[in-house]
Amino acid sequence: MNRRELIRVAAAAAAAGTSRGLLSPRESLAATRQAPSDRVNLGVIGPGSRGKYMMQRFLRVPGVRIAAVCDVYEPRFAEAREVTGESTPVYRDYREMLDRQADLDAVLVATPLSMHVDHVVASLDHGLHVYGEKAMGFTVDDCSRIVHAVRRSDRRFQVGQQYRYAPWYRQAVDRIAAGEIGRVTHIYAYWHRNYNWRRPVPDPSLERLINWRLYREFSGGLLAELGSHHLDVANWIFGEMPERVIGNGGIDFYDDGRETFDNVQAVYTYPSGAKFLFSSLIGNHKTGFQIVVYGTGGTVELTLEDGAFYYEPARNNSAIPEEMLAAGANTSPTLSTAGDMPYRGDGRPIEVPADEVGDPNLLAAAGFIECVRENRRPFADERVGWETAVSIALGNAAAYAGDRVDFADHLPTDLFGSRG
Amino acid sequence: MSGLELFRQARDAMGTEFEIFLYAPEAGGAGELFEQAFAEVERVESNLSSFRATSELSRINREAGRGEVTTDPETFALLRLAGDYGRATGGAFDITVGSLIAVWAAARRQARRPSRLELAPALATTGWRHLQLGAARRTVLFAVPGLTLDLGAIGKGYALDRVARLLASAGVESALIGSGQSTYRALGAPPRRAGWRINLDPADGSSLRPRVQWLRNGALSTSGRGPAAGDHAAPGEAGHIFDPRHGLPATAFSRVTALADDATEADMLSTALFVAGSVAAPALLERFPGSAALLYPGAGSSQGPQELRWPDEDRASSELQRA
Repeated sequence: MNRRELIRVAAAAAAAGTSRGLLSPRESLAATRQAPSDRVNLGVIGPGSRGKYMMQRFLRVPGVRIAAVCDVYEPRFAEAREVTGESTPVYRDYREMLDRQADLDAVLVATPLSMHVDHVVASLDHGLHVYGEKAMGFTVDDCSRIVHAVRRSDRRFQVGQQYRYAPWYRQAVDRIAAGEIGRVTHIYAYWHRNYNWRRPVPDPSLERLINWRLYREFSGGLLAELGSHHLDVANWIFGEMPERVIGNGGIDFYDDGRETFDNVQAVYTYPSGAKFLFSSLIGNHKTGFQIVVYGTGGTVELTLEDGAFYYEPARNNSAIPEEMLAAGANTSPTLSTAGDMPYRGDGRPIEVPADEVGDPNLLAAAGFIECVRENRRPFADERVGWETAVSIALGNAAAYAGDRVDFADHLPTDLFGSRG
Repeated sequence: MSGLELFRQARDAMGTEFEIFLYAPEAGGAGELFEQAFAEVERVESNLSSFRATSELSRINREAGRGEVTTDPETFALLRLAGDYGRATGGAFDITVGSLIAVWAAARRQARRPSRLELAPALATTGWRHLQLGAARRTVLFAVPGLTLDLGAIGKGYALDRVARLLASAGVESALIGSGQSTYRALGAPPRRAGWRINLDPADGSSLRPRVQWLRNGALSTSGRGPAAGDHAAPGEAGHIFDPRHGLPATAFSRVTALADDATEADMLSTALFVAGSVAAPALLERFPGSAALLYPGAGSSQGPQELRWPDEDRASSELQRA
């Protein structure tokens, strides 16, 4: 079945599942839900390391076929065919793939960030749904162009921010929204690693192609590559996007010709006054990937695999009888540091019910295919992608200038309606 | 190979330590290769680990008893290979041993072996024949609900083979990759040598001469008493490989070392032969061309190992002297 024709399928089937319209892994991956005619043919632009990883996940969704792949770097063709297990048609030019492969229903875009807009917009303009890897676009203008392309194509766009599909994240966000840790004032997030971020380059002429992450022409650096998920989670928890950012960073560890910073610090302020702080560095591994949500009543720590809730000690704050006035208070010279030591006990782990357990990347892929089949809006849609991507772009502008950037000075105000 | 230096890096993965030796022009490039290699081990582990609820294997275990599960080509190919191994070894090798592993682990926590009564229900949900694979749509179905797959007996070997491929495609001509010192895969040989030297320690308490094997592009794996996690043994436990066909310990040998063209097969063979016993072992090995084995008799024997097609060591070392 070719989805260039609009397929209006009753959305009632989507009513199963959580209140966010997300199906459980069992439901979204059940072979019984898909008739043989519900084949989805997926094209891939950019089968690099992330591209191949997501291709393998898409091939775990019943009825999905990788119908074609496109890359400018020929060694990727054999690698991609190894993932698909067949002689998938290969192209060097994405426009040729989109023109020639009339069987495509959707496209996975996993190319360097600066190329996302061209690949995403061309795919949408060819009438194809798009799964676009994060960040949605490179510049603010790129992001607006993508949103306009989604609208005029009337096709579905999902951004590759898969923690929106991770069950422990969904549970944490729901419980935070229900007030379990009080009012959230700050979110601190980290992605710290210890290596130079370089890939092996067979020939020096391939340096900018393979190590595109290190060059400002193509890459949003650590903030884009390692901060998108964290920033998206902050936007998700706060229910809005930031209004300004202060940025900082530098090339302080690696003197190897790179242009993107090897350490970045950014502080975003939200309209409510809440703050999101992000740190990434590639010279120390201890902290790893962490998102720490600070609320007046407790804390949530989230990682790539799990999460835990911590609760602030209860403080009694009621008026007491005045008997102590006659008895007096006692004085002594002791000084205790106990009140300011970090809490080192266990938190309460987030338990995921057995039928909700799953790999977030697989759940994101299955969710996208479900939206393609049923013509439903993805949970991580173009608005989610836009809010993250422009926040990244402005964060980088701030960091490169070592300055503050106000979002209102740089963003179109009329792109989206207000949040309901 | 002038201008190349030998580098080594080791990292914990898959419940053991993975170790890579490789020849590269300089340290920076070697470091990048190690990152890619260990990322590939992590990728394999994230797909195949029984200990991760988010792995593809765990998903198949949760769902394939209720209905067909679609999986990706790589996982499907590995499951099909494992099924072929089950058939070719008469069930001495079997990836459907998850239920038995659980029963053994529970018993070991009480410092005892499981009884036949405890093994019976686990045996009812064991058997490579119950794993139904549909090639047309890459589907996996368990004919018996409660069947549980565990790839511990070939997962490390498979990871070693994937790393060898990755390094070869990155231009590395000489490398040795090992997991837990029990399985090794060679890519080429060190410069001016016949192969990578592997010392095969003699069996416990014997006066047997130490053996040496030179690996060039092949693989070697040892199963038996000792830190040989990855066999049909409870996770984290040493020794006591059980026979999947009856769930009781395999007692014919104290140790088996297998040679094969790749680590997946070597890993599988060292387990399968250990279980098969001395009568069945020769015919079993015949079904795997290019393979060889050393079968060390059970505890208490002072005899040397039985050799099955084992290459002549003197020839190998004379090749070294000529090179």
